Amino acid sequence: MSVKQFKPLPAQPAPIMTAGPIAWVRDNLFSSTFNIIATILIIGSLVAVLPGMIDWLFISANWSGTSQSDCVKDGACWVFISAWSQQIFYGSYPTDELWRVNLCLFLLAGVIALSFILPDRLRNKVAVPAFLLLPFIGLLFLDGSMIGLPQVTTNLWGGFSLNVLLAAASIIIAFPFGFLWALGRRSDMPFARSVSVTCIEFFRGTPILALFFMGSVMLPLFFPADVNVDKLLRVWIILVLFMSAYMAEVFRSGFQAIPSGQYEAADSIGLGYWQKTLLIIFPQVIKVSMPNILATFVMVFKNTVFLLVIAVPEMLQVIMSALSNSNWLGGHAIEGYLFVAFIFWACCFSMSLLATSIEKKLDTSHNK
Amino acid sequence: MFSKKTAEQIKFETRPNRVGAKAFYNNPKYRGWIYQSVLFVFLIGFFYSIVSNTLDNMSAQGIKSGFSFLNTSAGFDVLMSLIPFDTTDSYLQIFIIGILNTILVSVIGIIFSTILGFIFGIAYFSRNWLINKIAVIYVEIFRNIPVILQVIFWYTVFNALPIARESLNLGDAVFLNVTGLYFPKLVGESGSGVVYGAIVVAILAIFAIKRWAKKRQELTGEQFPILWTSLGIFFGLPLLALLITGLPFHLDYPALKGFNFKGGISVIPELISLAIALSVYTGAFIAEAVRAGIQSVPQGQTEAARSIGLKESKIMSLIIVPQSMRVITPMLNSEYQSLVKNTTIATAIGYPELFTVFAGSALNQVGQAVEIMFMTLAIYFVINMVISLVMNHFNKRTELSAR
Amino acid sequence: MKIKNIAMTLAAAGLVFSAQASIAGSTLDSVKKKGVVSCGVSTGLAGFSQKDEKGQWSGLDVDVCRSVAAAVLGDASKVQYKPLTAKERFTALQSGEIDILSRNTTWTHTRDTSLGLNFAGVIYYDGAGFMVNKKLGVSSATELNGANACIQAGTSTELAISDYFRENKMEYKAVTFDTSDQTRAGFESGRCDFLVSDQSQLYALRIGLKNPAGAIVLPEVISKEPLGPVVRQNDDEWFNVVKWVVNASIEGEYQGVTSANAAEMKAKGNPGQKRLLGSEGDLGEKLGLPADWAYQVITQVGNYAESFERNVGQGSPLKIARGLNAQWNKGGILYSPAMR
Repeated sequence: MSVKQFKPLPAQPAPIMTAGPIAWVRDNLFSSTFNIIATILIIGSLVAVLPGMIDWLFISANWSGTSQSDCVKDGACWVFISAWSQQIFYGSYPTDELWRVNLCLFLLAGVIALSFILPDRLRNKVAVPAFLLLPFIGLLFLDGSMIGLPQVTTNLWGGFSLNVLLAAASIIIAFPFGFLWALGRRSDMPFARSVSVTCIEFFRGTPILALFFMGSVMLPLFFPADVNVDKLLRVWIILVLFMSAYMAEVFRSGFQAIPSGQYEAADSIGLGYWQKTLLIIFPQVIKVSMPNILATFVMVFKNTVFLLVIAVPEMLQVIMSALSNSNWLGGHAIEGYLFVAFIFWACCFSMSLLATSIEKKLDTSHNK
Repeated sequence: MFSKKTAEQIKFETRPNRVGAKAFYNNPKYRGWIYQSVLFVFLIGFFYSIVSNTLDNMSAQGIKSGFSFLNTSAGFDVLMSLIPFDTTDSYLQIFIIGILNTILVSVIGIIFSTILGFIFGIAYFSRNWLINKIAVIYVEIFRNIPVILQVIFWYTVFNALPIARESLNLGDAVFLNVTGLYFPKLVGESGSGVVYGAIVVAILAIFAIKRWAKKRQELTGEQFPILWTSLGIFFGLPLLALLITGLPFHLDYPALKGFNFKGGISVIPELISLAIALSVYTGAFIAEAVRAGIQSVPQGQTEAARSIGLKESKIMSLIIVPQSMRVITPMLNSEYQSLVKNTTIATAIGYPELFTVFAGSALNQVGQAVEIMFMTLAIYFVINMVISLVMNHFNKRTELSAR
Repeated sequence: MKIKNIAMTLAAAGLVFSAQASIAGSTLDSVKKKGVVSCGVSTGLAGFSQKDEKGQWSGLDVDVCRSVAAAVLGDASKVQYKPLTAKERFTALQSGEIDILSRNTTWTHTRDTSLGLNFAGVIYYDGAGFMVNKKLGVSSATELNGANACIQAGTSTELAISDYFRENKMEYKAVTFDTSDQTRAGFESGRCDFLVSDQSQLYALRIGLKNPAGAIVLPEVISKEPLGPVVRQNDDEWFNVVKWVVNASIEGEYQGVTSANAAEMKAKGNPGQKRLLGSEGDLGEKLGLPADWAYQVITQVGNYAESFERNVGQGSPLKIARGLNAQWNKGGILYSPAMR
């Protein structure tokens, strides 16, 4: 009698309906009647729209050339963008001096990178002053007259670099103001509090378009008759005040996120008001507010496009000027707008990704 | 007594005796007053110099001042007006038209952005992979592109529609072409008052039934099918009134006369494009808020709701959404406010809202920047204050009911 | 505290910018001191002021600025262009941000009298006209009752068309746009049945259409739109300079002086030409300018005809005929006062 030995059969593959691509499709696309309909509708509309778009955008588009007459095919005329690219990115800034704009952009990127790389101990001590100095160093280089370089007047600044630098310069200067206004709003002094609240609510409650317009037509009336403040500087003032109001609210929510034990602990070791605020509270506020600060920056960055209503040659304004040039009267509006939209989208999207990753990092540190 | 002192004062009083430590200028109370009076003097000086500079400059440049221009005739046409308007009407009329058009597009935008926001915010949690991805793509695309480009985009899309003579036609009643959307208008005849009355009665009845049903549920635990009864009353009562009074309405159909459609209700493409752009843009932010709100409700809530046997559809509406509203409402407040402020981008496509028509055309003809900007800013400020008040009221209610 | 900080920041930032402050004193002196003419132009208007891919400005309006720079500073390139929207233009001039406003601005009674400004002449006689789609079968503006009009916002055209339709007891709906490109797109899509604009712009807008032959310009001209440079009131010295620079270029054409033959004319032209070019008389001195002011204008920028043909006439894509803007002895109304 032979001994029956137990021989396990080789494992069957999982039923086709619970694993693998088919199951994935069934679970994720066709799990209910509603989902089936939704999936079919979505795929159907993608099939209807996408091929035509891709053809217009890439396949039958015109890629090379220097003037409108090079746009012979049916598709998009990207020649328009490439011919105007220097204007679009740098405005009328002299070609020989472009290194100055690039240097400023590079410095900005450098300081941002620095604030991430530096060890915790040095971060606030080095990064904060570096940030605060940045707009003024940028001004010195871009203008040039004070450090012996040929002067480039502000009417020549423009293009996408202006959008970036103006947004950065505004939010950096808005930092201390916003912090002061937020402190004022939390302060025990009734008059200081009401002034802060008024400032914050005024600049948050009025449209930036109207504020820009005010900076352009009303601010000149506010200065004494023989003082003539540069238009870009006026715009900068408006942007700084506008941003300060938003930053104040960001900081306010940051203050609220700090446990009251921190204040009490600081009080208990006898720190004064400014010591307590700057040494204990401020670093923590900055940390918890980081995602919101980035979101605010994205907002102001997008808002710099509105400068076109007062003829500041930022990116979209350059496109609009280009559209009215008599050598380019073919109506390349769609290409121009799409390009601006794409650039802004790419920048804002990457910043929002950054904000999300910071948020996640902060989250874990709180749950420890 | 102790609790009335601030931490600063306690520190001050308990500080070891140093030279000058007890001096009045080191007392936080006095110090506060000193700071504030410096601030006060500074502000007075600041505003005094602004006002005097402005007056000096205006008189030196021969600019007129005052509000008398409001009564003079404007002399230009406005594309869309909710009140009767003629080119000979005054600038005050233009101002009011601007305000009404701003409010109109804001209200439409708020309604649709909320709907879009909630749809895509909830769609984020869908089990359908495609729907989830579309929700993500929607949010990431539309909130990251400047809204002024979006409004230009939608307007360009609208401009691709056929011209008036080749309108898209739906049963000879609804027409869509590049000059706008046209649909029939309901015109009441004698007896229509009864029908309007029936609608009012129906609404009141629904409120009463809701109250009664809630009371009954609290007392007996029995539920009453409120939704179906309400729908029945809302449509049934006016229908009954309609039949009794013998249909006292007729439809005023739009028809092509001369260059354009006449009659019926027409909606201009500028309004539609602006409303779409604002709704889609703000909707993306609201979707983010809704997503954050839903994620803020602990998973345990869903599990607890399941364990007591609530249906899946009820879990969302009774458990998750009410709790997430505590997170969502403050964000909605600021999104609505920014929507109202963003209506100013209408200037890019020429929808005649306040900023375009009053701070634009009117200012350009009159030239009195200070007065006109002051009036314009004040209106936006007031609208945003109203939104803030309403939302704060709503916020308080959601906060209270959570306890 | 915060205000103090604002003030300090402003002061710090102001240091950098303050170099170009101060409008006190006469504009001519300050322009000579700065070495550059600040000129307010349009953000982009085909043929009148437009920027090219290199950032160089050109156009009929721009040539006024260049002429003034050539006359005052001897170098037509010493111009600082400040693009302005229609709404900002007068404030910018009033506040001293610019020295000349040359931004296709219509000379009207109200603007001349109530804004503290002076118009220094006319460089282009324009008038509002209509463009319609050929398919509509309209041949006169009187058939446009009930139609939609595409208009650029904030222009004097906005008022002119309202007057015209009221006068003829017709109705219209105004669809207003911010820029001329948007106006053209609105017309092309059929959003409006006709487009109203200055005649000079109608041609530019028409060649921008996908099918220029499908649109016709109606014969009616419904308003007078004389365009010219503007300066601040109460500065007669500068007012004279701009006024006579404009006249010099018109007179240059009348006298037959071009950028090509100016040097020759200066040496051995007739007395009128010599007086204009500064080899005889003291016209420059009376304006507070160098003797060869008009010579510089004509050699560097050209006379009116050259400037016209280059920017809006046969030498440009716009191909506008001289029409009203021809010399008075050639069927137009261009007339410079006597140069003596």
